[in-house]
Amino acid sequence: MRITIPHLGNVYLAVKILFDSLGIDYIIPPLNSKEALRLGSKYSPEEICLPFKLMVGNYIASVESGADTVLLVGSCGPCRFGEYSELQMRILKQLGHNIEFIIMDPVSSIGLNELFKRVRKVGSTSKKSALSKMGSIFLAFTAMKLIDEIEAAAHTIAGYETNPGEAKGLLSSCKKEVFKCSDPIKAVNILKQYSNRLKAITVDYTKKPLKIAVIGEIYTVIEPFSNLYIEDILMDMKVSTTRKLTPTWWVKDMLLKTIKLNSRELLNASNEFLPLYIGGHARECIGEAVLAAKEQMDGAIQIFPMGCMPEIVSKSILPSVTQKKKLPILSLVVDEMTGEAGYRTRIEAFLDLLERRREHVRIRC
Amino acid sequence: MRIGIPKGLLYCRYHTFFETFFSKLGSEIIVSEQTNKDIMDMGVEFCVDEACLPVKVFHGHAASIKDRCDYLIIPRIMSICKKEYICPKFCGLPEMIIHSIPHVPKVSMEPIYMQNEKEFFKWCFSAGSAVTKNSAKIKKAFISAKKAQKKSRTGIIEPGQKLTVMLAGHPYVIFDEYLNMGIVNKLRAKGIGIITEEFVSDSETCEEVKKLVKKPFWTFQRRIFGAACVLLRHKRIDGIIYLSSFACGIDSVIIDLIRYCIGHFPMLVIKLDEHTGEAGMDTRVEAFIDMLERRVLNENYNPSPWECVFSGQNPV
Ligand code: SF4
Ligand code: SF4
Repeated sequence: MRITIPHLGNVYLAVKILFDSLGIDYIIPPLNSKEALRLGSKYSPEEICLPFKLMVGNYIASVESGADTVLLVGSCGPCRFGEYSELQMRILKQLGHNIEFIIMDPVSSIGLNELFKRVRKVGSTSKKSALSKMGSIFLAFTAMKLIDEIEAAAHTIAGYETNPGEAKGLLSSCKKEVFKCSDPIKAVNILKQYSNRLKAITVDYTKKPLKIAVIGEIYTVIEPFSNLYIEDILMDMKVSTTRKLTPTWWVKDMLLKTIKLNSRELLNASNEFLPLYIGGHARECIGEAVLAAKEQMDGAIQIFPMGCMPEIVSKSILPSVTQKKKLPILSLVVDEMTGEAGYRTRIEAFLDLLERRREHVRIRC
Repeated sequence: MRIGIPKGLLYCRYHTFFETFFSKLGSEIIVSEQTNKDIMDMGVEFCVDEACLPVKVFHGHAASIKDRCDYLIIPRIMSICKKEYICPKFCGLPEMIIHSIPHVPKVSMEPIYMQNEKEFFKWCFSAGSAVTKNSAKIKKAFISAKKAQKKSRTGIIEPGQKLTVMLAGHPYVIFDEYLNMGIVNKLRAKGIGIITEEFVSDSETCEEVKKLVKKPFWTFQRRIFGAACVLLRHKRIDGIIYLSSFACGIDSVIIDLIRYCIGHFPMLVIKLDEHTGEAGMDTRVEAFIDMLERRVLNENYNPSPWECVFSGQNPV
């Protein structure tokens, strides 16, 4: 059994550490690119959302290098994500690939037994003892947390650093180094080193960079290719960004959902505007916008794929958030047709607006 | 108290219930007009660009009556069958309305769960309380509304001269003549028989979807997909015309599932939005019907790729 996974931001690094340490055979597809998108769009239904297409592109690349099993998380919620696996399986079958799918659905819809059965299916190829398997999972989770922290720190520091570009450089060399390393323990150590190096960057807190929250549909905010590397663009423009939705957040959310203790802060913040769960991460999106206003950020950028149903609902609510909480918000819709130039222009125009708005406020005070 | 009911989305299916319920409570009921150009334009103006046409049209309906009523019924229908949903946009419908349309009156915000009476009554109670404080009266209105609803039936089943097609899609697209540009009458005029998903039983569709890996979690996905497969297997139809909306996430999945299961069986997918032209649609429907006719005449008939493209089929 050779397992592969679809890409989602830096998750592949943690998965690599997990499988290396479990001794399971795996293939990580090449990072998302125009090629993955081209392949994916060719074989996917035309109107499906962007994440679906990229994922299909990932599978096909992996299958060509010998993968025979796809490991995927699922959902049975009101949104399309839950239907992904069904359609993707058929697409691969039609292409003549006999691929097994192992889908980690939430406990609430398939029951604990079924979930354990599926986990065991993955675990069975590892020769490690149960205890050291637990250790591997723990190690992988630690790594994921570290990566998320490093990324978040770099995004914030970008607005304050004395040597522009330093944080961005560290971040990208960190990812490269971890990916090259096949010893899990060493990989985690590399992460720790980088975490310290980031902290050591010289910063100038008297600077007043624009502060922006990146919000929206979870896949498109996390996976950099799908949002045309917006966080990199913003780092280059010396903007300090934050994003609450991360893979670590997602794992915690999934685990805590069963006992309904998940992301209280975000959900409470969204209550005023959207008190009910409607699928996807629409409530989180609204909650993040409200919190961003509370934390006195300068603005927020919402990103979602064309046709994303929950985010369309949030988009119609966001103008009210802007009005009531005085937080300018830019909505960006991405699909395979999104042109880089137009996209950049819109971001730049938004930043200009924020700058002007800030000066205006300063003058008035 | 004047109760406003927009004639959009699942109004077509549940209007008997809502109208009986509120009239029994003694309130004046204001229903918006049939969808027309003004309503659609208003919807397009108020609603977010990215939404699907039915939701936009619903915005138009709501906007057209908002000034004439004191309480607007925006049904937040979470689900109508157990463990199944309809669409995320339904779940957030009241929010979409109040944040997109200025100066709306009071709106019903409570969620509606229709899978059992107890849950459904909760909604009726909260909506009814806005009209009267008399809970016995609400209960009575609920019971008679339920009775009336049971008697009402939607769906089209009409025999044709030679051909019968399944008209598939969400009910609010099929039964809104303006939205679908009168396709039902056009088919009638050509002597084409029509059948809709309502005429396949729930148990049959449940049986049918067992062949899927994953249990469907949208009611209309199970209904439409299941019905299409059943009708096809029983050889009751010669083709499928799927009326869909651009940017409908649910339809994109259903259509794909149907395509995989029916193989080369003819299916025409018509996607609607506010820019869809009537002439273009007519030509495509005609080409499709022509193709079906030839196919029926000649058992081994295989459409040429050109015909496939023109009639909106997947060329093999
Ligand atoms: S949340 Fe949006 S992107 Fe994700 S599955 Fe649903 S429609 Fe697609
Ligand atoms: S099911 Fe489709 S057409 Fe209906 S509201 Fe949802 S997205 Fe729109």
